[in-house]
Amino acid sequence: MILRLALGTAEESVQALRERLESAGLRVLRSPEEARPILAVAGKVPEKLAAELRTRAEVAEIVKPSGELLLVARAMRELPSVVDVGGVRIGGGEVVVIAGPCSVEGRELVLEVARKVKDCGAHLLRGGAFKPRTSPYAFQGFGVEGLRQLKDAGEAVGLPVVSEIMDASDLPAFLEHGIDCLQIGARNMQNFTLLKAVARANRPVLLKRGLAATAEEWLYAAEYLFEGGCEQVILCERGIRTFEKATRNTLDLTVLPLLREWSHVPVIVDPAHAAGIARIIPPLARASIAAGADGVAVEVHLNPEEARSDAAQALLPRELLGIVSDARILAAVTGRRLHP
Amino acid sequence: MTPETRHQLRSLDRALLALIDERARLLASVAATDPGRKPAVDDMLRRHEGLFPAQGIAEVFEAIDRHSASFAQERG
Repeated sequence: MILRLALGTAEESVQALRERLESAGLRVLRSPEEARPILAVAGKVPEKLAAELRTRAEVAEIVKPSGELLLVARAMRELPSVVDVGGVRIGGGEVVVIAGPCSVEGRELVLEVARKVKDCGAHLLRGGAFKPRTSPYAFQGFGVEGLRQLKDAGEAVGLPVVSEIMDASDLPAFLEHGIDCLQIGARNMQNFTLLKAVARANRPVLLKRGLAATAEEWLYAAEYLFEGGCEQVILCERGIRTFEKATRNTLDLTVLPLLREWSHVPVIVDPAHAAGIARIIPPLARASIAAGADGVAVEVHLNPEEARSDAAQALLPRELLGIVSDARILAAVTGRRLHP
Repeated sequence: MTPETRHQLRSLDRALLALIDERARLLASVAATDPGRKPAVDDMLRRHEGLFPAQGIAEVFEAIDRHSASFAQERG
């Protein structure tokens, strides 16, 4: 249950209500919303207490969310939330483009790609240092050295960086190297130990949708992050497994307007992992923004055929430029703006 | 005019305004003397196959260019 209190409710009244609920054995969580006090109540509220709540003057609205999705629920904020990744605001009416190599493949290569994606107008640099590969014989990434190279490249061109963390034991390295946004990949979306550890890190988190996860399961993973103290969460749709074999996955754009209704958390789309085919990524990126995505994430390589991972879905810089140009137009005509 | 047509016109007008303003935002960081600021009117007219008169298109973009000078970045 979510209790949206009346505007201007005195802090003493909020505390009194909170104590009343806690005295009934319920856990109470408070939204950071400043405009209005909002409380989430975890657990089953007894009918007698629920009836009392309906009569209390300070309770303006009682919202019953789906299941136990509380902190991610739309009712927990007055406006959709905005996540600040190194000065780049994600959500709140601005559209961003995240781009970079699938894997960090060396200092010079990542720096060159960083320069190109910056020139093309991308806002964040992505790059994998710890790679979750299906085959144990595939390139696994450069690990900590890759993080260092990515961050150095980002700093050299003035772009915040995002990289995937696979194991909680690597968290100190991500923090030490100043990775601006921690990505939790599709395969780890329900790695609850990792979610809890990352939630405590006080860094923005990009949470990819599991390849066989429902939207509700995905939001529960985000709820773990919020419950653990992380308020800076970005969801990332990246396609789900279906019977369709023509593409690597099926991009689920239906989820975008639904998430807008259900949650305040910003959502971006990774059309590259959904498609797995470079040439069909630009139209999917356009569709994503038109459907309301707060941004898109794509993979860029100077020589895609030589990429050490996901070569088939890597874009050339000129293709990225087309996506940024399209994003600018689509953001404008859908009442938003491309991030400066 | 039907209400539906009027509705569609208003939507298009809002989109045109949003795009003109987005063009202005992009230009705000470009030097006033940069020749790339100017709309490529000739190129657009060559591609144009629609109903709107060519002279009108030229005038619209000339007006956009003229007013764009007011928010040009003051540098060389």
